[in-house]
Amino acid sequence: MIYRIIQKRKIFLTLSTLALAAAVLALIFWGLNFGIDFTGGSSLEVQFTNYQPTIAEIQDSLKSADLHNLVIQPTSNSYILKFKEDSETAHQAAVGDLAALAAAHDGASFKELQFDSVGPSIGQELKSKSFNATVIVFIMIIVYISLAFRKVSKPVASWKYGLAAIIALVHDLLFILGVFALLGHVFKVEINTPFIAAVLTVLGYSVSDTIIVFDRIRENLPKSQEDFENTVNRSLNQTLTRSINTSFSAILALLAILFFGGSTIKDFALALAVGIFIGTYSSIFIASPVLVIWDKLAHRAKA
Amino acid sequence: MSLAQRFAKLSVRAKAWWILGLIIIFALVVILTVGSNYYNNFSQRLADKTNHIIVLPPIKPISFSLGLDLVGGTRLVYSADVGNIPESDRASALASARDVIERRVNAFGVSEPVVQVNKSTARGYQIVAELAGIKDINAAIKMIGETPILEFKEEAPNQPAATSTPATAEVTTDSGTSTVTLTPTETSQNPADIVWQNTELTGKYLKRSVLQFNPNDGRPEVALEFNAEGAKIFEDITTRNVGKPVAIFLDGYIISAPTVNEAITGGKAVISGQFTVEEAKLLVTRLNSGALPVPISLISQKTVEASLGSQSIANSLKAGLIGLLLVSLFMILYYRLPGFLSVLSLLIYGFTVLAIFKALPIWLALILIVIMVGLIFYTFNDLKIFNGTLALLFAIIGILLFVYALKPVTLTLSGIAGFILSIGMAVDANILIFARTREELKQGKSVSQAVDAGFKRAWPSIRDGNVSTLITCLILIFFGTSTVKGFGTTLFIGISVSLFSAIVITHTLFVVILGDWLEKRTWLLGVRKAKAEGAEVGESNK
Repeated sequence: MIYRIIQKRKIFLTLSTLALAAAVLALIFWGLNFGIDFTGGSSLEVQFTNYQPTIAEIQDSLKSADLHNLVIQPTSNSYILKFKEDSETAHQAAVGDLAALAAAHDGASFKELQFDSVGPSIGQELKSKSFNATVIVFIMIIVYISLAFRKVSKPVASWKYGLAAIIALVHDLLFILGVFALLGHVFKVEINTPFIAAVLTVLGYSVSDTIIVFDRIRENLPKSQEDFENTVNRSLNQTLTRSINTSFSAILALLAILFFGGSTIKDFALALAVGIFIGTYSSIFIASPVLVIWDKLAHRAKA
Repeated sequence: MSLAQRFAKLSVRAKAWWILGLIIIFALVVILTVGSNYYNNFSQRLADKTNHIIVLPPIKPISFSLGLDLVGGTRLVYSADVGNIPESDRASALASARDVIERRVNAFGVSEPVVQVNKSTARGYQIVAELAGIKDINAAIKMIGETPILEFKEEAPNQPAATSTPATAEVTTDSGTSTVTLTPTETSQNPADIVWQNTELTGKYLKRSVLQFNPNDGRPEVALEFNAEGAKIFEDITTRNVGKPVAIFLDGYIISAPTVNEAITGGKAVISGQFTVEEAKLLVTRLNSGALPVPISLISQKTVEASLGSQSIANSLKAGLIGLLLVSLFMILYYRLPGFLSVLSLLIYGFTVLAIFKALPIWLALILIVIMVGLIFYTFNDLKIFNGTLALLFAIIGILLFVYALKPVTLTLSGIAGFILSIGMAVDANILIFARTREELKQGKSVSQAVDAGFKRAWPSIRDGNVSTLITCLILIFFGTSTVKGFGTTLFIGISVSLFSAIVITHTLFVVILGDWLEKRTWLLGVRKAKAEGAEVGESNK
């Protein structure tokens, strides 16, 4: 049986347009919740045993440390404190106050699990590095696709394959950013450097998924007796199982990290899983339909 | 007949058995490399139980290199202010600042600290210190941040009116070893009243200092040894200051001001002040760690408590095993017999990647990579799709893997995530091949023809798909920070090895088990024979 994916392209394109519009709105109104990697500041994870202070108690105890923009997030067995100061003095003052809080309660003990501090200059540097890496990934992908498809010219020029793949990539990028703007707004999920790694990996993955569909189109075109639209649709159907199965196995591995890998790596696995899902979606429902629309537009222009 | 000719005359099946033998040896080597500790424990117990009748040869254990977020420790990033240092001297100043920090950290008792200089984009230089397993991070930060400055000063020409008699210090010269003992001149003029001026001699020229005890009165003293350049300068200073005091300043405080009796050659001197043993020890440590030639300031730190690190290791291990189990189950349930073969390949894949993460001796790395690349070439040649581009691609991958096999890949949380993700992606090539094989079967081909076509036809897609992910990984490795780099590295190694495991190992296993028995049982490949005969699944089906 053959799924009429290309024929029903309007449904998928409308769906994606709506999703992307929502993503853009989320980005405009909520923006991304950048973590200390980009904004600078400190993040301190502490654990109390035999005593669970309330957030207000922690806040009170830290008064003398005079921390700015203090945010306290309780996790299952610890507290994560975030503040603007990035100096070692502020760190020691905070740790000292919290230790004093624990000491004031019988039998309670206190442990510092994790501390990160990032100066503003590093944050700036990470921003520009991330931006550069993203631009380079895009450039490399364009170069790679145009090399891989240089021999395909009929009925759609090879550069159009490249551009269709890029449209799918931009689609994926906007979607992930939108999802994380939402997650940042609702669940305070932050954007740190691992997120950038996840996004770049997803871009590479998404394009490889798209290339495999295009490869099949390229293979089918010379011997096909059908028109372009149906050839593309048949190619899509032939690669559909593979696309879904590959993503499924990668997402299985990521779900294992998400549920068992510990809290530190959770957001990273989530970004990868969301990205791989949407990357697969776009290579099936966006990239190929865009090719067909292009072909139709070209015909209309000629007619 | 040469070995190669003899091999060429073998049947396809016989060749595959030979290749399988090689793969099994390869698998044993990587498994033993990864589980060297388990093997050594086992052989020890075996020897004990059998009264040393069965004694297996021990393997030199190689351990994984674990990152700070897994073992606990701290990573400190300092920005180095090179504004006052001329362009040409910056590299050497930074290098010696690096050495100084490393010495200070060593004095603190950290095992295998990593200290390196990074040129950061546009914002000058950074010095990064990674201290694994350190307990008192605050003290370490203080220790590194301190900038003791060792200076040798002489009397300025314009002195305030002398208030006391000239120095009457006792200076003895042992011409044999050119060791000079300078005794502080506490009885004479108060050094604090003298106006001092700098000499060229600073801590930079100090080769080393050691704590020793005066043979006469057993008091602790500090012996200094200058490098060649320093010895020359010291000689000049003592020559022009005969009969006058020369002061040793640390951090701007005078610690000793002995008077020079004669020029000192050989570059060795002893400071014998009123030290307690503890003070002398501290002074030696500080002198040895020297002064930082470049002012530094802490701009970032990342500290992980050891218990959190071990928790992360346990979590990652669990996630990895569950991930492997889920992917294996999926492959077997969906693809049946081929799925089972791909799981066997996946297991060898896992051990190979883990072996490459360790720092292998050069001969072992060479053997593993040569077997991998050689078998890839052989398999592609066998499938008749071998060409120059392919040879170049695998030559590059082989060289990169070889380099990674030689040095340890530091495993961090994100790196392990990359490895676990690569388990999920490693089956991609197999999924492509099996999907293609099923299609060919449905078109009525025999199992062996379908398998052959499946491998052949799936290759362009495998190549194009994986190369773009590999390129992304390389960009992550070159442009990322350490977290991103770790992830890119493990994913790169994973995907590279998966090309070997998914194509070579799976193909060999397939060829070995192919036969008439399988032609009759196509359900093992997920296709009903009845369908394979029918043509309705063929070309156009709208």
